[in-house]
Amino acid sequence: MALGGRVALVRWIVLAVIVVLLITLPLWATQGMVNVSLLVMLYMAVGEMWNLLAGYAGLVSLGQQIFIGLGGYSLAVFTEVYHLNFLLAILIGGVVSGVFALVISQPIFKMKGIYFAIGTWIVAEALALYFLNWSFVRYGLGFNIRTTYNMTTDYLYFISLVVGLGSVLLVYLIMRTRGGLALMAMRDNELAAEVMGIGLYKTKLMIFLVSAFVTGLAGGVLYLNISFIQPTAAFSIQWTVAAVVIVIIGGIGTMEGPIVGAVIYVVLQQYLYDFPGFSMIILGVIAISIILVAPRGIMGTLHEKFGWEVLSARRNPRGMKAVAGSD
Amino acid sequence: MLSQEDGALLAVENLDVHYGDLQALHNVSLRIPQGAIVSIIGANGAGKSTLLGAITGLNKPTRGKITFRNEDISSIHTHDIVSRGITMSPEGSRVFEKMSVEENLLIGAYLSRARKKRRELLERVYGLFPILKQKSGQLATYLSGGQRQMLAIGRALMVDPEVILCDEVSLGLAPVIVKDIYHKIVEINREGMTFILVEQDVKRSLRYSHYSYVMVKGRIVMEGRSAQLPEEQVREAYFGISRYA
Amino acid sequence: MEVLLQSLVNGILLGGLYAVIGLGMSLIFGIMGLINLAHGDLIIVSTYISMVVALKYSGNIFIALLITVLVMIVVGFFCQSVLINRVVDKGAEPPLLITFGLSVILQNVLQLIFGADAKSIPTKLAAANVITTPWFSISAIYLIDFVVSILVILSLHFIIMKTYFGRAIRATSGDVMASELVGLNTKRVYAVTMALAMITASIAGLLVGMTFTYYPTTGTEYLIIAFGVVVIGGMGSLVGTLLGGIILGLAQILGSYFFGMAYQLFFGYVVLLVILTFRPQGLFANTK
Repeated sequence: MALGGRVALVRWIVLAVIVVLLITLPLWATQGMVNVSLLVMLYMAVGEMWNLLAGYAGLVSLGQQIFIGLGGYSLAVFTEVYHLNFLLAILIGGVVSGVFALVISQPIFKMKGIYFAIGTWIVAEALALYFLNWSFVRYGLGFNIRTTYNMTTDYLYFISLVVGLGSVLLVYLIMRTRGGLALMAMRDNELAAEVMGIGLYKTKLMIFLVSAFVTGLAGGVLYLNISFIQPTAAFSIQWTVAAVVIVIIGGIGTMEGPIVGAVIYVVLQQYLYDFPGFSMIILGVIAISIILVAPRGIMGTLHEKFGWEVLSARRNPRGMKAVAGSD
Repeated sequence: MLSQEDGALLAVENLDVHYGDLQALHNVSLRIPQGAIVSIIGANGAGKSTLLGAITGLNKPTRGKITFRNEDISSIHTHDIVSRGITMSPEGSRVFEKMSVEENLLIGAYLSRARKKRRELLERVYGLFPILKQKSGQLATYLSGGQRQMLAIGRALMVDPEVILCDEVSLGLAPVIVKDIYHKIVEINREGMTFILVEQDVKRSLRYSHYSYVMVKGRIVMEGRSAQLPEEQVREAYFGISRYA
Repeated sequence: MEVLLQSLVNGILLGGLYAVIGLGMSLIFGIMGLINLAHGDLIIVSTYISMVVALKYSGNIFIALLITVLVMIVVGFFCQSVLINRVVDKGAEPPLLITFGLSVILQNVLQLIFGADAKSIPTKLAAANVITTPWFSISAIYLIDFVVSILVILSLHFIIMKTYFGRAIRATSGDVMASELVGLNTKRVYAVTMALAMITASIAGLLVGMTFTYYPTTGTEYLIIAFGVVVIGGMGSLVGTLLGGIILGLAQILGSYFFGMAYQLFFGYVVLLVILTFRPQGLFANTK
């Protein structure tokens, strides 16, 4: 028991050190590294949110680009047309995403399984088409997001840091609440969970809205970085591809998975910058191989084989281990 | 007359089957002589269906051996086992709902050796079960429970096998219909077909079979010539009462 | 009025093509219960292959089709044995994610090899009008699309309903255990079904290439069309698939008639979403 307590303490110390390193990154790392870390933070957030939906709530969405696009366009429109402060614009982006999610939840939640997945994809494609024909967002011409022109990479990095770490913290807190237990029950056996009175619909809806909100925020910050937005790219399936690949490779159903996955994703993209198609092909092959061979991904398999779990969804993993006798 | 010393057509030796960590069959051994009707009696969960599943290759044994005509079939795919001459009328009939009665029967004769004589086999099935001939063009989904069971057995006959396994043929059917089906089984058996019947009903099992095995919780607890097994004792064993459980 | 009539005619003709696009998906779903998210991309892959072969053999479409079919059957066999057979009984998520991954890979491979520009399969048929009446005209390529599609659907219908192997396919899609018990090698049935699906995909790909321009990313559009066709028509029903195609085609063309060209696809998507919400089992469920 003392040993268990000691291990937990070490864990928290290591985490604290990592966080401190991340906060001070611009001081000691190269600009290239800062840029990479910036992207890692944002993709991490997108991945965590997809994982929340698919890995914990059992809702496989292929439509995360809806919220990325809405977030990005909120930033663009509210800074370029209404001249609002960009942080406010990003926040509004999150809210817009959440509201849109609420609106489509009505029909979308009537669709189960694969229908839900494709349904979200269709909504995204429809949205892209709509924006291409919408004068308010300047059709396919898009926006140059000029507020960001004077921002330093360091500044953008700190914003991404907040989003990235915030998303992990958010998932951690959610899983620690009663809602989290409900989610895991739901994921494992929907019928049994329903019978136990856990409000399935409400829980799924909450998760969906939260995921939409945070993905919208991430989208806003992503476009702060890209500084030019246009419908086809903003609502492109590529965003969901990134999320899926990140979570599958990192480990679906784990909190650390999207972190690991995001690092791999961003680093690989940077490495193969001159050969853009290749990185996606490699990632796709890796992801498929993982599903076939080690479906729990990197962190999931590590957890299974060695019991390495940094961020645990369970209340007292040590305690349960003692009770259960083995993991 | 049949004796257990006859060369067994089908033999199961020391079979264990596991579902994950759960052991469903413990050291089960059976001998099925050619031309016999052998019944396996047991309550729900006793392991009867698991045993049939192991014989037909639907479950893989974790230990032990299954031999058919002296060939080890323990690890062969179901469709290959069927081509060697063993088939099953599964629990709940499992007819092909969207196909007609005749199509259900014809697909039974899919394998080449049966397909050549499919017209002949079809006539035989229609002779045994006239109601199937009457409804030959109807979709199987519209049949009653008893008709479905007849269709399942008929489909098994179309495979032109040597052994037919029947999983809970009487489930949910009226006694009159069950009696009719069992009479047909006896008739088919007289023409040389070997049967393994899995049943919950003790009386019926003993009456219509030559040899019986009683299973409780995945083990054989009693066996013997059906005519010589006292019904009361079988019932006690079946319910897992004291000395047999 | 003439324009409306023209729209109706075009919608129906297009519907035939849409039906063939959805045919492969309907087959796979009917048999294996899984939706292949790479279906649209496989069609487009076959379009590109046809294009390459056609260019090499000076526009000979038949050679193009032949070679494409052979290549696609190999591709399908690979997908089936390496990817799909492994996860077909592991629940709904793995096949979804694996075919999604496959889709990503295919689109990027196409982009790498052929670049992101629009392409088309050169043919002299596209522009000509074969039938001209005072009220509407029918372009040659649309007519060819429709006729070929009907032929394919009828052939497939014949195979599935009247041949022994078609019966095997229907049995396997009904009950795998019972099928094995009559001696059917269900994994082999899956493989052959996949081959059939690839043949229809190749034909669809060739027709698409001759009728429209395409990009490496066009697969997504056809995935949604195929899905729409299958959903509207009811899973696994051939006649339903044809009707589903026609309804989707009409919805699109009429949408563009009433709301403008730009909204053609959009309208189709909206109709599809509505149907998914209220009647996901399809408009024609319970038909075979």
